[in-house]
Amino acid sequence: MDTMYRQTTESEQGPAQPAAAVTEMTAPAARAGKVRVKDLDFFYGRFQALHGISLEIPANRVTAFIGPSGCGKSTLLRTFNRIYELYPDQAARGEVWLDGENILERRYNLNRLRAKIGMVFQKPTPFPMSIYDNIAFGVSLYEKLPRRRMDEWVEWALDKAGLWGEVKDKLRQEGTQLSGGQQQRLCIARAVAVKPEVLLLDEPASALDPISTAMIEELIDELKADYTIAIVTHNMQQAARVSDYTAFLYLGKLIEFDTSENIFTKPRETATEEYITGRYG
Amino acid sequence: MTLYQRRRLINLFSLGLSLAATALALSFLLWILWTLVSNGLPYLELITFTENTPPPGGQGGLANAIVGSLILTAGGILIGAPIGVLAGTYLSEFGRNSKLAALVRFVNDVLLSAPSIVIGVFVYEILVRRVGHFSAYAGAVALALIVIPIVVRTSEDMLRLVSDTMREAAAALGAPQWKIITHIVYRAARPGILTGILLAVARISGETAPLLFTALNNQFWSTRLGQPIANLPVVIFQFAMSPYDDWQHLAWAGALIITFSILILNIVARSFLRTRMSRY
Amino acid sequence: MLISSQRDEAGLQTTGNPTTTSSVEGDVVRDHLFRGATAFSGAAVFALVLAIVLSLAVGASLALHKFGVGFVSSTDWNPVTETFGAAAPIYGTLVTALIAMLLGIPISFGVALFITEVAPGWLKRPIGTAVELLAAVPSIIYGMWGLFVFAPWFAEHLQPWMQTYLGPLPYVGALFQGPPMGIGMLSAGLILAIMVVPFITAVMRDVFATVPTELRESAYGLGATTWEVVRYVVVPYTRTGALGGIMLGLGRALGETMAVTFVIGNAQRISTSLFMPGNTISSALANEFNEAVGDVYTSSLLALGLILFTITFVVLAGARLLLGRIGGRI
Repeated sequence: MDTMYRQTTESEQGPAQPAAAVTEMTAPAARAGKVRVKDLDFFYGRFQALHGISLEIPANRVTAFIGPSGCGKSTLLRTFNRIYELYPDQAARGEVWLDGENILERRYNLNRLRAKIGMVFQKPTPFPMSIYDNIAFGVSLYEKLPRRRMDEWVEWALDKAGLWGEVKDKLRQEGTQLSGGQQQRLCIARAVAVKPEVLLLDEPASALDPISTAMIEELIDELKADYTIAIVTHNMQQAARVSDYTAFLYLGKLIEFDTSENIFTKPRETATEEYITGRYG
Repeated sequence: MTLYQRRRLINLFSLGLSLAATALALSFLLWILWTLVSNGLPYLELITFTENTPPPGGQGGLANAIVGSLILTAGGILIGAPIGVLAGTYLSEFGRNSKLAALVRFVNDVLLSAPSIVIGVFVYEILVRRVGHFSAYAGAVALALIVIPIVVRTSEDMLRLVSDTMREAAAALGAPQWKIITHIVYRAARPGILTGILLAVARISGETAPLLFTALNNQFWSTRLGQPIANLPVVIFQFAMSPYDDWQHLAWAGALIITFSILILNIVARSFLRTRMSRY
Repeated sequence: MLISSQRDEAGLQTTGNPTTTSSVEGDVVRDHLFRGATAFSGAAVFALVLAIVLSLAVGASLALHKFGVGFVSSTDWNPVTETFGAAAPIYGTLVTALIAMLLGIPISFGVALFITEVAPGWLKRPIGTAVELLAAVPSIIYGMWGLFVFAPWFAEHLQPWMQTYLGPLPYVGALFQGPPMGIGMLSAGLILAIMVVPFITAVMRDVFATVPTELRESAYGLGATTWEVVRYVVVPYTRTGALGGIMLGLGRALGETMAVTFVIGNAQRISTSLFMPGNTISSALANEFNEAVGDVYTSSLLALGLILFTITFVVLAGARLLLGRIGGRI
């Protein structure tokens, strides 16, 4: 509990001067890794999708994962909350450390893991229930709250996702009746409501129009004060805009991992350079 | 005649035949419905719903048979639908790739069209013969065995329509699997599952063959489940085959009631599915 | 408490209720229970088929032992002397189903063709629904209509015509002899034909819809007529599925009970003429099962049930293998 508290307070200064923070740190390792990945392999049945990935995702920063489709960037994200375990033929081998514990170990409790690491998907996935219940569902998995407290909690989460103003008069409406961009922010609110420490965003804006995308990107920028964010995107401009660090994956291997500034201005690997200049992918 | 004209002619002829086939099939539907209306409507009176089945030559209605049918149908659904939904859940959520699931799916598809009279004989063998007499229980079980494959099939289909991302999203929040399925997936698939159950209701409310050897019939008002119970299909069968005019008239009235209830149920179920299931 | 461990910037005080671990364990138990309940129900469906076969086989064993192979080859069905042979109902079942297929397949094909290729968009759904309603009409209603409306009409208008024009033909003429009574094997087959149309049509419609649009369009692009597209593209492409639909219809026709019981005439004999009354397995069961006295009689009827279930199971299993998972709505 103590460590968590310290980390979150520490983050108070974090977002204040992001530009300075980036220039300070020439290598990702300079900042404490919230999620530390070591020698991670991933398999879809016999097919190996990830090969020996090792990297550290810095706390209270946005880390982007880019690469051509099929490179394994989504797969990597899906190991962090072990969502792949829904499918019996998928398996991960290696280590993923979160706050000093290897979450890939069988005895690591899944509910606990998913309370700490929230996820938002490419396609907005409002549950087939009211806007209010969409938020309350996740919260009630962990806490039995009296009605009034739940109301406050829902408001807090919707507000956090910048959605409160738009939906406060229609909390009883079905979540599916919102627009695509609103649905995606509802999903972010739902993830945030559980108060995770890490947020995984799997191409969260790829199904949205430009205006909704801009809103999501703004939101990401605000959220990183409180959360460690890992985002998968196929849109390099987006990665450059929202992220502090960027990892480039190709054919299941981590090619390069550095501050976004370095990746997009002076990549060390030619493969990275070819990809970001649009020569393939 | 040029080749082109010949081809056009063949085309017109074939399509004309397909129109004729459709007209023929639909004319039978209309013929049957007209038969029911013209033979049944004159004998459809208030006492049809308030009086019990009469002895030959007497005045009466179908009240006991209607109530008996409702009880049997409700019983069949209460027993069959939960098993069907659970088995459908197994096929869709747990056993997608397992051998047992493939076997169950196959056997279920076969059961879906299996002769209902065999179901009646089977239930007679395991329930009626053991107990020594016909009963509403046995009838409800026989109907349940017809409900199960229908509900298994529609439930699995409808649960599969719910996108995997929905399941992933719930799992990502840390919800346990039972909660994901009961709170999220069932809710998303609810219109579809309900439609399947409604179609099952429609199907069993007209089933006669499985009731002949199980619920049998009862001339009197009875709601006791351990006893034979009156029900519309068997009453219609017996009355229609009887030499008495009054009984035959009641049979037509019953046939009208049962058919139109079922057709309406079918139309409602299908349109319900179309309007409600399109969202997910 | 998992989520309350964090600093709460909205000023939400969380009650430190440390029950999560136990509720997580409760969830593990509930997951197992739920999964177990669904797997049990799934297994029950499978067990049901085994139970049906077993109970019929046990019940039928007396008759099958007593009469041996003779049970399926003998036409002698005599409750008084307690000798039973099932040849007549088996013959009736196969013949009526065959008539139903001969007429039902072309009609179904025509209807499916009309719905998918000919009808304008606004007409597709109403016609589709109307054809599906044919399947919803209970079998007993077909029986009443068949006995009281169709049979008299058939005897008055169609049968004399058939006798005059088909009767004198060599070979097949023998099928159309005897008094035009309306009821009989031919009537039963005709009514079965109407009853299987919605099932075969539904499958054909579904499989016709699986033909890739590009394939269809490239054929039209060559200047093919609608019929030519159907004949040379749609039908070859969907042959397996359509055959599955036909098998499905056949399975229905073989097991159909009430409609047949009303119109077939219930005579335990094999007649050459289709005008003559006959019997099917299902109608014999419907008529005699409740009245059967004595173990041999009952056992013989159960043997009939076992034969029917086996035949339909094989046919329907074949249908499913051909169909995969495409067709076969309820």
